[in-house]
Amino acid sequence: MPKRVLIVDDALFMRNTLRDIFSSAGFTVAGEADDGVQAVNLFRELKPDLVTMDIVMPYKSGIDATREIVQFDPNAVVVMCSALGQESLVMEAIEAGATDFIVKPFRGEDVLAVVKKVLGD
Amino acid sequence: MPAASHKYLTLFVAEAAEHLAALQSELVRLEQEPPTAPLWDSIFRRMHSVKGSAGTLGFGRIVDIAHAAENLIARLKAKKDKLERAEVDLLFAATDALVKEIVKLDKKEDDEETITLVDELAKAAQALPDPGAAALRTPSPPQPPPVADASLPRLDVAVFLSKTCAAPGARALIVQRKLKAMGTLLEMEPLPAQLMQQKGGARISALLATLTATDEVRAAISALPEVDEVDVRMAPAARPPDERRSPPTPPPAPIVSPAQAKVRPQLTPPAVEPDELRPESTVRVRAEALDQLLDQAAEVMHGIARLREAAKRLPESAAARMEGDIDRLRRTARELHGRVMSARLTPFSSLTERLPRAVRDLAHRLGKQIELDVQGTDVELDRAVIEALGDPLSHLVRNAADHGLEDPDTRLRAGKAARGKLTVSARRERDKVIVEVQDDGRGMDAAALRRKAVKSAALIAEQAEALSDDAAYELAFLPGVSTRDDATDVSGRGVGLDAVQRKVESLGGKASIRSVAGKGTTFVLELPLSVSMANLLLVQVGAELYGIPLHRVLLTTEYDLSARGGEGFEARSLVVMGQLVRAYGLAKMFGLPSLAPPGPRPFVVMEVDGIRFAVAVDRLVGQEEAVLKPLFPPLDRVRGLAGATVLGNGRPLLVLDPRGLAELSGIHNPVKPAPATKGAA
Repeated sequence: MPKRVLIVDDALFMRNTLRDIFSSAGFTVAGEADDGVQAVNLFRELKPDLVTMDIVMPYKSGIDATREIVQFDPNAVVVMCSALGQESLVMEAIEAGATDFIVKPFRGEDVLAVVKKVLGD
Repeated sequence: MPAASHKYLTLFVAEAAEHLAALQSELVRLEQEPPTAPLWDSIFRRMHSVKGSAGTLGFGRIVDIAHAAENLIARLKAKKDKLERAEVDLLFAATDALVKEIVKLDKKEDDEETITLVDELAKAAQALPDPGAAALRTPSPPQPPPVADASLPRLDVAVFLSKTCAAPGARALIVQRKLKAMGTLLEMEPLPAQLMQQKGGARISALLATLTATDEVRAAISALPEVDEVDVRMAPAARPPDERRSPPTPPPAPIVSPAQAKVRPQLTPPAVEPDELRPESTVRVRAEALDQLLDQAAEVMHGIARLREAAKRLPESAAARMEGDIDRLRRTARELHGRVMSARLTPFSSLTERLPRAVRDLAHRLGKQIELDVQGTDVELDRAVIEALGDPLSHLVRNAADHGLEDPDTRLRAGKAARGKLTVSARRERDKVIVEVQDDGRGMDAAALRRKAVKSAALIAEQAEALSDDAAYELAFLPGVSTRDDATDVSGRGVGLDAVQRKVESLGGKASIRSVAGKGTTFVLELPLSVSMANLLLVQVGAELYGIPLHRVLLTTEYDLSARGGEGFEARSLVVMGQLVRAYGLAKMFGLPSLAPPGPRPFVVMEVDGIRFAVAVDRLVGQEEAVLKPLFPPLDRVRGLAGATVLGNGRPLLVLDPRGLAELSGIHNPVKPAPATKGAA
């Protein structure tokens, strides 16, 4: 069965880019969220295999959303998508329970390399 | 991937432009009010979002500027005291530079301006303490040294992080977490926090007390991304002295990293219920797609109108059934049209987003203090109205800042606050939207306006004197009448108030002025909610068809003027309902050839502001319901035209503006008649 991904980013541009990366690698994009609140709601609803999580978003940051998602499901696989210069936020996200991270700008193969490793493929 | 050909380039440009427009307003707010954490967060988030997407597209210069600006923003937020004007100016400069970059994304080479700006931003940031670094320097509270059962095997673990690792601190944290999951982590060198902001290729060594086999530990750590090599071996029996000192059995205390210990600023304000704030989910559609949809919906309606005509020629029994079907179809088409129209609704905020920045710059340039208050930003108007309103609105704002509001000294002398207030508001009233631009400045000078109107030959002295003050204010809408003698580089010599009025009326709206000497002036624009469906009377002049809005048409009649002086008449009078009405030739007005033979001709009698006049045409063609669209340059400058529409057969149709026609004919002075003269018209 293809793995199901929930893509969380406030920029439609990034969501579309990630969706293309995952779709072309045989993943199913189960849902997309553009802020942390929606991310938590969609996670509960969709129970995806993987979440890619932007950090800086309106209403609820990716860090708080990750914390709530991991509280809801301690086995949730959440990969933070951070920009250069956000290392301390990434570290905070890891403390909050994020599984791993990728740093923007990324290439499709960078994303897939990390994702495959954290999913144990 | 090559940026220029990226399939989401347009999307990136649209999103970035939105962020940058909002940034402008937020930066102005920074200057005007004590900045709050949510405001800073929003500013940071916008800059950050532009940077993130631009990086993926490989737009290095945008990333450089946004990154430098982001750094400065983070430090400014942490700095508690007042912002320097120069600091905000730099952020404005960064925003401007980003706008410029996004406008011309294809330019390849680095230009010096960008490099200088990035340097300046970096310099300004360096002058401020780095909140992240400060947190790192803060020593974490002393932790009891981690201890483990002395009988557990010790493993020496060496981890080599990949050279391409972009965040070694974060990567080390993941390694640390993984190790802790397998046993008690007694030592780690360097600690994740020490690797922060280092480049990749770091070596981490750790001492782990665990029952897990070396191979298993190696496999677990090797499975992590960005880990090049892992070396795990049993540690020699001799341990550092501190371990021997530690008590043998207390429960293992976890290592607390500095990242955990320090308090970080909240990214988002937790106080508000987030669900209430989140806008409903939306889909982004190209504006042109909606235009096309609207055109097609209009075309369907025209097609239905033609069907209806055709049905009239059917035998009566068939016609009745057919007409019933056509009516149902027409209702559906109308509903479809209505839905497309509402999808085109755009919030007023899309017009006002740029105002704070514009007003700030104006105030600096004019040496005035201006407080801008924008209200009703969520009021929605049709996109066409919004687009057409941009220029008039910024004109009115410039006008108010330049002519309306006084400089601080003058205001203080007049007993007012030094800071002038400029309010731009929108509100919905039934099927209309009222947009007001209000200042609390000096107000208009009715006497001066009367003098100017006479001087510019728009009125004769008696007419001018007969005008009430309220009516005299409207003289400002006349071309060439200005409220001040000195032209300024900001708003010129009253240039364009006539253009404002023309534009608003071409949208089917109305512009008016309220003013109180010494108290201020309000420009009121009454606008239709949408470019509306108009019922048009189709007339033919020469080879062309024109539409006349039926709501202005009083009646049509036929009259033979040739009998009373031949063709080529300038103006004649007709008797309409017992009243003499001036008549004009439409062909003559627009300088068109008339193909009508001498003899009786149709006249369309119209009424504007209580004034009736008649216009001769060659032929009355019929009636049609049409979607009126505003005209675009240069047609929008032609007086007497209100808009355009496309007929069912694809033929474009110009729609006449009765008010403009009346002005062209000279019968209607663009000043509202004062109450005293109204009855006579």
